[in-house]
Amino acid sequence: MSSTSPVSASFVRATFSCVIAAVALVAGHAQAEEPVQITLKTLTAQMKFDLTDIAVPPGARVKLTFENPDDMPHNVVFCSPGTDVVQLVNKMLEQPELALKNNFLPDDPKVWLKSRLVNPHEKQEIEFTAPTVAGNYPYVCSFPGHAASMQGVLRVLGNGPRLEHLKFALYLGAWKSLPDFTTLTPHRVGDVPDNLIQLNFDDYKNQYALVFTGSLNVPENSEYTFYVASDDGCRIFIDEERVLNADGIHPASIKDSKKKLKKGTHAVRVEYFQADGGAALYVGWKGDKFDTTAWSKWTPPNWKAGVEQKVNEFVGMPLEPKNAPVIYRNFIAGAGNRAIGVGFPSGLNFAWSAEAMNFSMAWRGAFIDTARHWKNRGGGHQPPAGFDVVRPAELAPPFAVLGEANAEWPTFTPDQPPVGYSWKGYSLDKDGIPSFRYTWNGVEVEERIDSTGSFKTGGALVRTLTLKGEIPAKSFLLLSKKAKVASAAGAFAVQAEKLSLVGTNYPNQILIKADGATVVGDSLLVPARSKIQITYTWPEAVGGHSHVAQ
Amino acid sequence: MKTLRFSVFALPFVLGGFVCWGFAAETPNPAEAEYYKITTFPTPPGTALEVGAVELLPDGRVALGTRRGEVWIASNVQTASAEGVWDQNSASFVADPSLPATAKIQYTRFAEGQHEILGLAYKDGWLYATNRYEVLRMKDETGAGKATRFETVCDKWGVSGDYHEYSFGSRFDKNGDLWVLACLTGSFSSKTPFRGWALRVKPDGTMVPTCSGVRSPGGVGFDAEGEVYYTDNQGPWHGACTLQHLIPGTFQGHPGGNMWYDMAPNMGPRPVDPNDKSRMVIERERIKELVPPAVYMVYGSGKIGNSSTAVICDMSEGRFGPFAKQLFIPDQSHSNVSRVYLETVNGVKQGVVFPFLKGLRSGPIGARMGVDGKFLVGGSDRGWGAKGGQPFAFERVDWTGKVPFEVHEMHAKPDGFELTFTEPVDPVSAGNLESYSAREFTYIYQEKYGSPEVDDVMPKIEKAEVAKDGKSVRLKFDVLTKGHIHELHLDGVRSASGKPVLHPVAYYTLNEIPTK
Repeated sequence: MSSTSPVSASFVRATFSCVIAAVALVAGHAQAEEPVQITLKTLTAQMKFDLTDIAVPPGARVKLTFENPDDMPHNVVFCSPGTDVVQLVNKMLEQPELALKNNFLPDDPKVWLKSRLVNPHEKQEIEFTAPTVAGNYPYVCSFPGHAASMQGVLRVLGNGPRLEHLKFALYLGAWKSLPDFTTLTPHRVGDVPDNLIQLNFDDYKNQYALVFTGSLNVPENSEYTFYVASDDGCRIFIDEERVLNADGIHPASIKDSKKKLKKGTHAVRVEYFQADGGAALYVGWKGDKFDTTAWSKWTPPNWKAGVEQKVNEFVGMPLEPKNAPVIYRNFIAGAGNRAIGVGFPSGLNFAWSAEAMNFSMAWRGAFIDTARHWKNRGGGHQPPAGFDVVRPAELAPPFAVLGEANAEWPTFTPDQPPVGYSWKGYSLDKDGIPSFRYTWNGVEVEERIDSTGSFKTGGALVRTLTLKGEIPAKSFLLLSKKAKVASAAGAFAVQAEKLSLVGTNYPNQILIKADGATVVGDSLLVPARSKIQITYTWPEAVGGHSHVAQ
Repeated sequence: MKTLRFSVFALPFVLGGFVCWGFAAETPNPAEAEYYKITTFPTPPGTALEVGAVELLPDGRVALGTRRGEVWIASNVQTASAEGVWDQNSASFVADPSLPATAKIQYTRFAEGQHEILGLAYKDGWLYATNRYEVLRMKDETGAGKATRFETVCDKWGVSGDYHEYSFGSRFDKNGDLWVLACLTGSFSSKTPFRGWALRVKPDGTMVPTCSGVRSPGGVGFDAEGEVYYTDNQGPWHGACTLQHLIPGTFQGHPGGNMWYDMAPNMGPRPVDPNDKSRMVIERERIKELVPPAVYMVYGSGKIGNSSTAVICDMSEGRFGPFAKQLFIPDQSHSNVSRVYLETVNGVKQGVVFPFLKGLRSGPIGARMGVDGKFLVGGSDRGWGAKGGQPFAFERVDWTGKVPFEVHEMHAKPDGFELTFTEPVDPVSAGNLESYSAREFTYIYQEKYGSPEVDDVMPKIEKAEVAKDGKSVRLKFDVLTKGHIHELHLDGVRSASGKPVLHPVAYYTLNEIPTK
């Protein structure tokens, strides 16, 4: 989007893999000369557009760049409000030979704008004038088979402001109605980088409450309507005055209320709690000069009064360890291509790498969201779902013989197994806890990782490595690398280098305890021997800052 | 789970295409159902039974490997009659509760957490599975019904995180080896070792790079003699989906992974690259390692399919009907099964594909047929969509015992073809030239995605001689074209009892013209 456009005052919200483009409405002003710039892309191998919701002012001049980075041809066809785009495409396909001749572009009075059929890795620029009549104008890719998922809405009416400076506080507890938060201490607090109210921070477990606080820039003195839909209860406060109350245990249904507000900045607080079962939270508002605008990531499906904030993102299939550890072998961000994620019912989790042959990282809270891999073709790396992710050493082979102090640890390249190592597999014990097996230059290594305690109170992971065979002299196991290490009551407080996974930064701090561990340069090492035990404990103080603003 | 209700024509393991398709949703064909019955099983609740591989266990139970990385063991598969009904609330197929338990399929989960299983093979108490980057084997050591020991057999090929890097595993071949077909990284390139190759895994875990030129496999299997074939999908260097003969040392047609010859000294020097916008028959003359597809699975709706998957040989000696030793190839996007008859001409495999059965409920991927003639097939539409309309399914196809009137085999002759039939033909209609029409065409062999059908030749059928026993017809063509697909329609042919041919079309890939 153009940052110079006097009209667009535009903003782009990057969520996971999707962007909502919105161009603020400039009500009552003549349209400026600069066209509104919009780039609409296809998502590679996902049969989706990156934008599913584009807002433009009525009558605006629009310069649309339609880019197709996918491996198959796509087009974009804009239709009049109320058009069933799937039906439109199906109707075209009733005459397949004509459709083919027309490059699968429907010749239909409902269509007011269409691109050409854009070949893979090509793009087309189209300039047009937005309709002057407000409404939701659906767009679709009319190439056969694409319409079901390749859709979006061009809204001729801007979004209203959303919340800014949004922060969250997470509380743990079993409630049947909203508690008095002034008497409670949050389990964790942090910023919400995308400023959208959301429940899937990093914890899909039940029995918690969230308080969101942010500021709202009210555009003019007017009456506004506020909407919520929550499962379970929620309340909205503006400048500490309660505007809407939907307390209690219930499924999500829309409630609304109206309030007059003065132009300027107001403080907004949204309180929410989840008991058991389903969990959902929608908050939005509407004014005379803008359409219903969600402040939350989620919008109730089929709610026509609101702007449907359909976002193409991979959220929503958490894998929850209930009675036994759960194993998830897949592409895990931070743990590489041959990662083995293990989640314990205790809410402690780790990932082991069958590529580096090493323990890779650990985290607390929710285990992993499978949607990226299980709702689509299965590509891409998914980060942990939980919080306090720690990776004391970047991916590297576990053992090395160090000839002299400060010798370089062997480097590791993804998909090139470290020299001398061979991945042998794993076994599950009666409780389902895995032990990983590999060999290192003839030494048979077995590694088991246990969880103790609970994520709520800190918790610890205990790694036990058993080595059989002739262990070379001066060989060490790597515990941390490129880290600040301080002795702390028989353990080492490790502050590893900044860890950033898919846009989220983690403090990357952990207490490591292992008999005989020594600091060599910027690494923490322990001499290789027949049995090595390492305990990783999260310092209580770390909990609560999983989301560090970028 | 999102369900794409109407047909989606973009391709599994292939992307896009440029041919014209028909667009009606596929439903079971009542005429086919008289001969082959599809039973759609209930599926276990709480998961997506996206079957990627099917294997038979010695005790008659069936192992299913899924795209979500689970292994389910199913009982009563051969006898269960209870149909599953798709239930939107539970997002699974649920059984009719009125039926007794013995008539129902039963499932237990044997393993989970693997990385997309697209191959299963049983041997000596171990279940071998192929996931995205390794062959592993698993075993239940405690007798509790769950795998407790997972051993890596071979992990010597690469994976980079790209969705396209699927790996399909075979069952054990006649030498005791497993085959792995490693999909390219995307349609065009190979980012990590041996993507775009057929690999053999020896019993000791050694990996032998065996064929280059693989693009986007959909399955791997054997013919009745144990020769190895895989299906590849329309895309770059593939005008259409194909059934390809995996001869060790050969190049299968897509040069995107040929840089790995450097790591495969057993394969000799890298073959020359094919010329773009050429023809397979021309490039075969230039590139001695290049093996032409044994059969083009002619692309498009109303034809054969858009995304061929498993390669299943009928070894049931008649329990699956009259097509013993022929191959059955499902198609993921068309939710159908096609039938292939192969022969060897001038040392090259080639043959014919016929439509066989449509109306599967999801996109078939994994399949297996035992000597009992029970054809088990399951799959998923995830990522591409399938005409069947459901996100996943596991199904059984049974022969009803009635013999359909079909072309049984089609043999190339120096001046035409010989057709044999499943029952005697009516000599009048079968001897009438008006009963037949033919067309010859090929595809452009090119780097660009797919190909239209090109170089049309319209042959004249000069003679149709019906054998005295009425079981075969000899067709004489005025021209045969080497390298072309010979499309033959038999709309006018009737059986001696007056029935039309159930599937009156055949597509014969004429790599070689026999001399006698």
